[in-house]
Amino acid sequence: MADIATGTELVPTARQDGDAVLASIRGEIDLHNSPELRGVLIGPLIASQPKRLVLNLSQVPYMDSSAIAVMVETLQKLRKFGGKLYLTNLQPRVKGLLEIARLDSIFVITADEAEALTK
Amino acid sequence: MSDTPSPVPPFDPQTLAQTRRVELNITSDPANLGPARHAIEALCTVCGFDDKSTGEVGLVVNEALANVTRHAYGGAIDQPIRIIGQCPDDELQITIRDWGSGESPIVLPDAPHDPLKPGGIGLICLRQLMDQTIFTPQDDGMLLTMMRKRTRPSMERANG
Repeated sequence: MADIATGTELVPTARQDGDAVLASIRGEIDLHNSPELRGVLIGPLIASQPKRLVLNLSQVPYMDSSAIAVMVETLQKLRKFGGKLYLTNLQPRVKGLLEIARLDSIFVITADEAEALTK
Repeated sequence: MSDTPSPVPPFDPQTLAQTRRVELNITSDPANLGPARHAIEALCTVCGFDDKSTGEVGLVVNEALANVTRHAYGGAIDQPIRIIGQCPDDELQITIRDWGSGESPIVLPDAPHDPLKPGGIGLICLRQLMDQTIFTPQDDGMLLTMMRKRTRPSMERANG
């Protein structure tokens, strides 16, 4: 297991675990800081072409469509090398937005990181 | 407009409870999205909206303001936006005025939304989460008026 430097408090922790990358995201995400999130997701977090990118959203009380767009773009890049995007520990408002956007069946949504690593 | 746009000022909860009205004159800087959303959510709470409905209204306001920055102002972050929220009775009314391109937003296509294609989620939120959404072109911009009754079920309850 090895830590991955993200260079932003928006993603305070990230680590490689076998063919998976696990990262925690922290804070409200909207058009103001979604470009910063994109820079991390599209950059260091998928640089190793992980089969699973697991994003722990337990500290994300809110996100908007610009954050969703970043995750969709990340998913599309992951798919090019057979990877999947897992979202864990969703808070109610984030879960609601994914349902409205009909993305709750596009991403793999799990209760926690442990489930994401076995599903 | 004569008001000088500024960052969202702090609001006094006691005053909010008495007036049940919020007026914000802000710039189109995305840094103002969060504070503006929080102010409208505070108004929703004062007006008796439950937490889920409050979150839905906050999301709608966020998406509407982001659309103004991206489309009406072409990404410029120093342009004026006026937001007025009020709930004199059982209905919340929010108006968002901009002095941008004045073009009507993209009309949602009849075909089902493709979740993997970018864009459009903001407008879906506006249409699905509010009872009424009216875009009224102005001589020098756009006026968006949105209404939602306090008794309207949130999306989760509406979907069963």
